[in-house]
Amino acid sequence: MSSDSIERNRAEWTQWAAEFVPGAERKWPTDRISWGVWHVTEAELRVLPDVEGKDVVELGCGTAYVSAWLARHGARPVGVDPTPAQLETARRMQKEHGLEFPLVEAPAEEVPLPDASFDLAVSEYGASIWADPQRWIPEAARLLRPGGHLVFLVNGTVFNLCAKDVEAPPDTTFQRDYFGMYRVEWSDDDSVNFYLGYGDWIRLLRSNGFEVERLVEIQAPADAKPHRYDALPKPDWAQRWPSEDIWVARKVR
Amino acid sequence: MSSPDAQRNRAAWDAYSDEYQQLHRDFIGRTEPRWGMWQLPESELQILGDVAGKDVLEYGCGAAQWSILLARAGARPVGLDNSGRQLEHARRLMAEAGVDFPLVHASAGEAPLEDGSFEVVFCDHGAMTFADPYATVPEVARLLRPGGLFAFSHMTPLAIVCVDVEADAFVPELKRPLFGLHRIDWGGDEPVDFNLPQGEWIRLFRDNGLIVEDLIEIQPPEGATSTYRSEAETEWARRWPMEQIWRLRKT
Repeated sequence: MSSDSIERNRAEWTQWAAEFVPGAERKWPTDRISWGVWHVTEAELRVLPDVEGKDVVELGCGTAYVSAWLARHGARPVGVDPTPAQLETARRMQKEHGLEFPLVEAPAEEVPLPDASFDLAVSEYGASIWADPQRWIPEAARLLRPGGHLVFLVNGTVFNLCAKDVEAPPDTTFQRDYFGMYRVEWSDDDSVNFYLGYGDWIRLLRSNGFEVERLVEIQAPADAKPHRYDALPKPDWAQRWPSEDIWVARKVR
Repeated sequence: MSSPDAQRNRAAWDAYSDEYQQLHRDFIGRTEPRWGMWQLPESELQILGDVAGKDVLEYGCGAAQWSILLARAGARPVGLDNSGRQLEHARRLMAEAGVDFPLVHASAGEAPLEDGSFEVVFCDHGAMTFADPYATVPEVARLLRPGGLFAFSHMTPLAIVCVDVEADAFVPELKRPLFGLHRIDWGGDEPVDFNLPQGEWIRLFRDNGLIVEDLIEIQPPEGATSTYRSEAETEWARRWPMEQIWRLRKT
């Protein structure tokens, strides 16, 4: 059913991988953890548990800069991504920075790693957007130990309603219905995104044994710098409506 | 001493109460507990579940249509409302139904009720719409026993930001910022409403020891009718959530 989204997204990301090299080169050298396109700092949001000495799996790691940050904070990360070209960049960064950790080529829907082997599953603009939630959330639950945390950043739900079908920033008008929103495709590329409503995220998380601890709707700061993504909101939009949502959940069952 | 907004909303509801009860009397509270602007049956939604033998607070009860039905289902309800005129209607309906339970005339932020008095606190577009959540959520947490249920319906924050005030209509467009949403003054002698972005609701619940069990975003079924919403508004609500129900559990 949705397996075709894995193939299609891998094909798109293979084409896009080169564009994400400069970002990887900028983000890898630092130990400053930040979230999303507005670079809101972890110090401000505090969505992560203490990662010192913890086993972390990054689902849809791309160039694995989040894993690199967490490694510098004492975590033992494993990066998982379905696109070889992205993992190639990640490996090159690892060598350049002398910071090695396992990288696994796999979609987040089907991760070849053992049950209950991680304390934290994290995804920033990764599996959280490009993998099928009905399949990757159960995988995250399986991979986590009891009490483990799941922290993921998705496109803001309000932004998703306004997201244009073509590569252009949103205005204030809705482009699609909320009810029935799940799998979203685009007219100018072949990728597949997955968008859930608030209630659907809560039910999916809870039915997989998670308790919802937080939903952080990210507000672009007053001095937000422009980003390079044509399809994402401009700062003045993102100062008024959430362009990014971070869900924080804890595995309790 | 109740807040200026509580005083304003008391005056607004005292003035509006007779008209409100006349307008909706054939639509709400008739046969079985039903939720919200399209009166979806509790028997389908299963928000409160079995209330028999439970101490239940209706938090902003209006004419207590819900509590009357819950009393018949074996609950021990208490109805709280900020409007004396609404409670007069409640007394009338209780007498007609032949049921009796306590009614409390107070603003929701200062309920004169003991800590841990209730197993269920709920409202259907009640105090959670018309009183400041930074006062009410801690108050509900105080009133609930451990393991108790807090459930309420209200407008979605999304619907609030999609109101075109000049056209007096819901539009498929963002008309006001979501960030900072809290106190909504519609002007004139309308009651002041309160709402928050979803993430801020969750933060407030968690800070007060309330676990999020569910958030049901209501999509009115095809052919749904309402004395609260025009056909055009119901059409909007079939595409984007206008009303939602939170289900929370005190740890």
